[in-house]
Amino acid sequence: MHGTRSGPRVLLALTATIAILTAACGATASPAPSSASPSTVAASQAATPDPTPLVTAAPIDTSVPGPNGGVVVRWFVGLGAGGQPQQIATQTQFVTDYNNSQKDVYISLEIYDNKVAANILKTQIAASNAPDIIGPVGVEGLNLFIDQVADLQPHIDSTGYDMSKYPEAMRNFFKIGKGGATIGVPFGTYPSFLWYNKKLFDEAKLPYPPTKVGDQYQGKPWDVAAVREIGMKLTVDKNGNDATNASFDAANIVQWGFDSQWADNSPTAETALFGASSFLAADGKTAEIPDALRTGIKWFNDGVWKDHFIPTQNQVNSDLLAKGNPFSSGNLAMVEIHTWYSCCVNPAPPAKPIVGDAIGWAVAPAYNGKTTAKLHADTFSMLKTTKHADAAFKVLSALAASGPLATIYGAMPADETQQQPFIDSVNKAYPGAKLDWSVPTQMLANPDIPNHQAWVPDYAKSKAAWQAFGVGYRTNQSADIDKDLDTLKTTLQGIFDAAPDKNP
Amino acid sequence: MTATIEELEPTRPPARALALRPSVREALWGLVFIGPWVVGLLLFTAGPMIASLVMSLTDFNLVRPEATRFVGLDNYARLVSDPTIAQSLIATFKFALLAIPLTMAASLGFALLLNHPKLAFKGPLRALVYMPVMIPLVASTLVWLGFLNTETGWLNAMLGSLGLPQPDWINSETWVYPALSLIGLWGIGNFMLINIAGLQSVPTELYEAARMDGAGAWTQFRRITIPLMSPVLLYNLVIILIGTFQYFTQAFVITNGRGDPNNATLFMNLVLYREGFIFNHMGYASAIAWLLFVVVLVLTLLLFGFARRRVYYAGGER
Repeated sequence: MHGTRSGPRVLLALTATIAILTAACGATASPAPSSASPSTVAASQAATPDPTPLVTAAPIDTSVPGPNGGVVVRWFVGLGAGGQPQQIATQTQFVTDYNNSQKDVYISLEIYDNKVAANILKTQIAASNAPDIIGPVGVEGLNLFIDQVADLQPHIDSTGYDMSKYPEAMRNFFKIGKGGATIGVPFGTYPSFLWYNKKLFDEAKLPYPPTKVGDQYQGKPWDVAAVREIGMKLTVDKNGNDATNASFDAANIVQWGFDSQWADNSPTAETALFGASSFLAADGKTAEIPDALRTGIKWFNDGVWKDHFIPTQNQVNSDLLAKGNPFSSGNLAMVEIHTWYSCCVNPAPPAKPIVGDAIGWAVAPAYNGKTTAKLHADTFSMLKTTKHADAAFKVLSALAASGPLATIYGAMPADETQQQPFIDSVNKAYPGAKLDWSVPTQMLANPDIPNHQAWVPDYAKSKAAWQAFGVGYRTNQSADIDKDLDTLKTTLQGIFDAAPDKNP
Repeated sequence: MTATIEELEPTRPPARALALRPSVREALWGLVFIGPWVVGLLLFTAGPMIASLVMSLTDFNLVRPEATRFVGLDNYARLVSDPTIAQSLIATFKFALLAIPLTMAASLGFALLLNHPKLAFKGPLRALVYMPVMIPLVASTLVWLGFLNTETGWLNAMLGSLGLPQPDWINSETWVYPALSLIGLWGIGNFMLINIAGLQSVPTELYEAARMDGAGAWTQFRRITIPLMSPVLLYNLVIILIGTFQYFTQAFVITNGRGDPNNATLFMNLVLYREGFIFNHMGYASAIAWLLFVVVLVLTLLLFGFARRRVYYAGGER
C-alpha cells in the first residue's frame, strides 16, 4: 500500500541523496565516480596535497637515544629550499657526517616537497608531533609559524654564539619574533639590486647603470627618476618608437624598460626602493599606508598606465614576456630582483638561452638620496615545543655555520668568509657576464628595515588583501589610486582587529 | 573387512537448513557486499564530516592548536556578517547559471551529433571529444590562459582579424564567467558518454512508430528522446550541479587562489580552501563547508522534487 511503502522509500531516497552528496563533497576520501566532474577530482587533488616526503626518513622515536647514542633532534626541510636532488644529497651528507662525528646528538632529517611542506608542518603541530628545527626558512615562512618558533636569544647568550662574524645589518635581522624575539641566526642572504640586459642598453646607445652607491648616471643622481627616464627610452613599440616619442603606440609594446619581478604582488616589496615600509604601525595594532609606500605605488601606477615603461599584469603573463618570467624573455631591460634569480635568467638546456651572458648588475636606484634594497634571508629556527632545546640549538648552530649548505641552497652566506664558493658557482653559470660582486655586498649594507615581509597580524589573510590590491592596480587602470590605498587600509584594519594572533 | 565411510563418521543430528526466506538471505548477502563501502563511508566520509561539525563550533587554528576554544555558533553567525561569503555565493550562483545549462546543452548536443546513424568515424570522433578529459586540469587551464591572453592569445587574435571586439577574458568581471565556462566545456566528455549511453537505450521502435505517424525530428526529440533520457539527464544535472558548487581548480590556477578580478572568481570552494589551508582558520572553514553542504543539499532536493513530476522511469520506479 502506498502509505506503508512511501516512508522507507523517502528515507532511502534521502539516504541516497546524502550518500551522493557526501561522496561528492568528500571526494578526497573516496574515489570519484567515473562520471564525476573533472573539476571535482582535480579540486580534491589540488586541495589535498600528496603528503609523501621526498626523503622518507625512518620514523625515529625522539624519546630514546638515536643510533649513535645521542639525543634525537628532528630537522624539518621544505619550507624554502632543500628539495632539489643536489640539495638533498648535500643535506644527507651533512647529517651523516654530523651523526658520525659525535655521540651527543642524532639528527633525524625530514625533507618534504616545498608545495606541501607548510601544510605538513601545520598538521604535525596540530597533532603535537612537531619537529625540533625548521629551515632553511625565510621571513615569510617564519611569519606563518610565529607563535610556534622559540626565542633563540637565551641560547645565543648562554653558548656565546659568535654574531660578530656577520655584517652589521644582519646581526639584528631576525629579531622579528613577537616582542622582538630572535627567531633565527644569520645564515643565507639574498640581497636585491638592478639586473639589466646589456644588449638592450647597447641597442638604445645608453650607458650601463652605476655599480657604486652614490655614483651618478649621465651626470644626474642615480635614482627612481633616472630609472623612469631611461625606462621610457628602453620601452619600444612594434614600429620601433620608444615611449618618449610622440608616435609611440602604447597598445603595441614589444619591449619594456623596468619591472620589479616576482615581488609576489606585494606593495611593500615593489616600493621598497622608496624606503622600507610596513602596513602595521609601530603600535602593533593600527593599519597604515606609509608615505614611502603611497609614493612608490603612484610611481608604479604611472609607470604602468601613463608612461608605459612597466608592463601590465596581462603583458607580464604574455608570450612576449615569457609568461611570467619577463627578464628571461629578453624584452625587459631592467629588473629589480634578488640574487636567487641567478637560477632562472636562462632556461634549462636544451632550451636556448635568450639573455645568455648579457646580464649586468647595478646598484638599486635611490629615492630622496637614500638607497634601499629589499632583502630576503634564510635561517634555521627552533620550535618552542622541542624537548631538547640545548641539543637542538647545537644542531642549529652547526647548520647555520655550514657554507656548503648555504651555497647549495643558492644563498649568499651571511658569513663573508664563506661567500667565495657561492660567488664561484654564479660566475660559472654566467662565464661571460663579468658580474660585479661589490653590488650585492653594497646592497646587503642597505637592507629594508622593517623588512617588506615583516609580520603583521593574521599574516596570510593580510597578505591576500594586499596581493588583491597589487594585482588589481596592475590589471585595470584605477580611477583613483589614493582611494584604493585607503580602502586597502580599511580592509587591513578589519583583519588586524579580528586577528587571532595580535601582538602581545 | 574394511569399514565404509558412512560407518566411520560419528552420528550427527540431521543438518537443518537455515530457515531464511530468500528475500532476507538476499538482503544479507547484499549487506556483506556493501559492507566494505559502508565501513569506508563511516570512517573516511562520515567521520570527517562529524569532526568538521565539531570543529565548526570552535576557533581551531592549525598553527595555534593549544589556543582552541569552544565558540558555539559564532562561526555560523560570522557567515552572515562576512561580506566575502555573500560575494562568493553570488559569484558561485552567477557562474552556475551560465555553466550548468551550457554544459548540459553541449554534452547533449555532442551526444546527439556523435550518435547520429549517418555519421562516419563515430569512434575516433567520440575519442577526440573525450580526450581533453584525460589532460590534467592544471595543465589544460594553463594552456587556456595562454589562449585567452589579451596580448598574445590566439582567440583575441582571431577575433581581431574578424574585426570583432577583443575582451579581457580573465581580468574582466563580465568576461571571466564565459571564459571559465569555455574552459569547462573541455570537460564534457564524461557527460557526453553518459548521454550517448542514454540515447542508445531509447527503443528505436518508438522512433519508427513516430515517423510513421508523421512526427518530424524536433517532435521526436521533444516527445521521445527527452522523456526517455530524463533519468540520465537528471543524473548528469545533479553531478554537474555538485561539480559547479565545488568548482575550484581552474579558479585557483587562473588567479593563484586570489579570486581576481575583484573577487569575481572567489567561489565557495576557494573561500573554504583559503580560510582553512591558507589562513589556517579551520573552525571557520568547517562552518563554510557546512554552509556549502546545505546549499548543495537544498538544491539537490529541489531537483529530486522536480524529478518526481518530470522524470520518466520506464519501470515505474523513481
